[in-house]
Amino acid sequence: MAKDIVAGALCCVGTFFFLLGTTGLLRMPDVFTRLHPSTKCDTLGACSIIIGMAVHSGWSWELPKLVIIACFLLLSSATCGHAIGRSALRRDIPYWRKKTGEVEGGDGS
Amino acid sequence: MTGDSAVRKKILLTCILFLFWVIFTATLALYDLVLGAVSSALVAVLTVALLGRALDPRITPMVLLRLPVFMVRLIWEIVKANYDVAKIILNPRLPIDPRIVEYRTYLPDDLPRTVFSDSITLTPGTVTVELTGDMLNVHCLCPYHQEGLAGLERLVAWLFGVKKEGPARGAQETAFAAEGGAGSLTAGRPERGGEV
Repeated sequence: MAKDIVAGALCCVGTFFFLLGTTGLLRMPDVFTRLHPSTKCDTLGACSIIIGMAVHSGWSWELPKLVIIACFLLLSSATCGHAIGRSALRRDIPYWRKKTGEVEGGDGS
Repeated sequence: MTGDSAVRKKILLTCILFLFWVIFTATLALYDLVLGAVSSALVAVLTVALLGRALDPRITPMVLLRLPVFMVRLIWEIVKANYDVAKIILNPRLPIDPRIVEYRTYLPDDLPRTVFSDSITLTPGTVTVELTGDMLNVHCLCPYHQEGLAGLERLVAWLFGVKKEGPARGAQETAFAAEGGAGSLTAGRPERGGEV
C-alpha cells in the first residue's frame, strides 16, 4: 500500500516536470533556449517516472532493466540535445540575446 | 598491446557481457548461468581477435566501480539545476540571458570529453553545442550557469582518475557571441586561466 503511494507520488512528480518542460518549450524564444527545458523533461521527468516504476516493481528482475532503460534514455537524450544544438550552430541559426530582446545575427555575416 | 593486458581486457569484457546476460535473461538457474558465461567468454575472445580491441582503454575496473557513485553525484547536480531552471520557466518575466561560452577542458581523451559534454547537456541550463579538440562551446541559459561547468569537469576527472595539469582552462565568452556588443560582459569576470 505504502509502495503504491510512493510510486504514484514519484510518477506525479515526473508528470509535473514534463508539464514544466513543455511550458518552457513553449515560452522560450529560440531553438537553443528550447533545448534546456527539453533536457529537463528527459532527466528529471522521465527518471522520476522510472524510479516510480522501480519502486512499484520492488526487488525483482525489472529493477536492473529499469536502471538500464534510464541509462540509455539519459545517453540518447544528451546525444540528441547535442546534435540539435550543433546542427543549429553550424547552420548559423541566429540566437536570442537579452540585450535587444530580438533575434540577432548568427555569425555576423 | 601486451599479452597480459589483452587477457585482462577479455576478462573485463566477459564480466560486463555476463552482467547484461544475467539481467536480460532474468534468471539464476545454473543452466542459464553456464550458457551465459560460455557465450560471454566466446564473444569477448572473438571481439578481441577480430577488432583488436575490446573496450576503450579508458574503461578500467576502477572506472566501472566509480560509475555508480558518479551517477549519483551527477543526478544530484541535475536535480539542483532542474530546480533552478524550473524557477526560471515559471517566472512570468522569463529572466534568461542566453549566451554561448567557450570552455577549454583539460580532460585528455575522447571518452572523458564525451562523458563531460554529455553531463553538461544533461544538466538543465547548459547544452554543449560544439566539441572540437579540447574546446567546448556551451550554450548557457543564464550567465551563472557556466560556473557549474568546473565542478562537473572535476567530477568527470575524478571518474577517470585524471589529474589536472597546467592552467589552460576556464570559460570565456566567444567572439561569436561578443559580436552582439557584449564585450563589457566578459570584462566583469576575472580571468582564471593563464592564457589570453
